[in-house]
Amino acid sequence: MISEGVLNQSLLGGVIQNHSILNPHGEQHKRNLALDLLLTALIDAFSILVIFLLMSFSSTGDILFISKNMELPKAKLADALERNPIIKIDEGKLFVEDKEVTADTITESLLDLRKTYTDLHPGEAFPGIATIQADRRIKYELLNQIILGMNQAGYSDIKFAVTSK
Amino acid sequence: MRNKKKHLDFEVNLIPCIDLLSVCICFLLLTAVWLNVGSMNVKQAIGGQAQADTVKSPLVWIRMTATGDVNLEVQETNNVPVAQRKIHLDQVNNQVNWEQLETTVASLRVLEPALNTGLILPVATTAYEDIIAVMDKLKKNGMTDLGVSPL
Repeated sequence: MISEGVLNQSLLGGVIQNHSILNPHGEQHKRNLALDLLLTALIDAFSILVIFLLMSFSSTGDILFISKNMELPKAKLADALERNPIIKIDEGKLFVEDKEVTADTITESLLDLRKTYTDLHPGEAFPGIATIQADRRIKYELLNQIILGMNQAGYSDIKFAVTSK
Repeated sequence: MRNKKKHLDFEVNLIPCIDLLSVCICFLLLTAVWLNVGSMNVKQAIGGQAQADTVKSPLVWIRMTATGDVNLEVQETNNVPVAQRKIHLDQVNNQVNWEQLETTVASLRVLEPALNTGLILPVATTAYEDIIAVMDKLKKNGMTDLGVSPL
C-alpha cells in the first residue's frame, strides 16, 4: 500500500517503508541516509501512555471547583464523590451551591434546596445528602455552623470532601 | 512456466495504529482529572426519632481536646471490661497520638466486634483535618457508622 502511495516519493518514505510494516522474514532493506524513526518503539510508548491514562481516568469528572488557596484534608479510605448540594467554606465565607450565605441564613438556603428537590421529585423521600468542602486548616467552630444548619434543615447525611492519599 | 510463490508473511500497517493511539492520548489528556477527590461519609442524628425507638448498639465517644489529648468512652457494651471503657490518650507535640489512637480502637474492636459506631466530639479549635484523620482511623478499623457532634 505504502509503496504505491505518496510516502514512497518523499524523503521519509524509505524509513516508513522499512519500519512501519511488521515483516519478520522480509528481505533486507538498504540502510537509508534519512532520519531513522523507529515506529515500533513509538507505538510501545504510546500504548503505555494510553494504559496509564485509562487507569487514572475518572468518569465522575470535576464535581468540585477547588480554588487555589484551598487544600482539602487527606484520607486513605475515601468513598467516591457524588453530585449533591455543595456547601463550601472559602476564605471564612459560607456558600451554598456558590450562593453566599451567613450562619443565620444557611438553614433557610438549605430548606429552599430541599423544597426544590421535593418539587422536582414528587412522591420521593428526601435523601438529605450534602457535601461539605472546606480547607483542611479551618477550625471546627466554623464547620459547626454548617453542621447545625444542616441538622435544622433535615440533612442527615454529610459527605466531607477529601483528597485520596 | 514456474508458479510465483505466495508470501505467507502478513504485513501490518502501523500508521493507523499511531493515529488511533494519538487520538486516544489527546482525549485522555484533555479529560484527565489529576486530583483524586473522594468523600468521608457521616450519618448525623437529626432528632426525628423517639429515643425509645433507637436500637442500642455499642458505640465509642471520641472527645478531642484543644491540647491534642483524646478521651475515649465506650458505651452500650458488656464485652469491654469496665476499666477499659474510659481511656485517655496523651498528646504528642501538641498533636493527637495517632498511632496510639489506632491501636486503642483496634483493641476495642477485638473486645467488642459489634463496635461499629464512633461519635466524634471536637472542640471549637479542633482543626478540620484532625477530625477527618480520626474518621479515617475509625474507618480503617472497620467502624462504619460515624458521626460528629455539634458544639
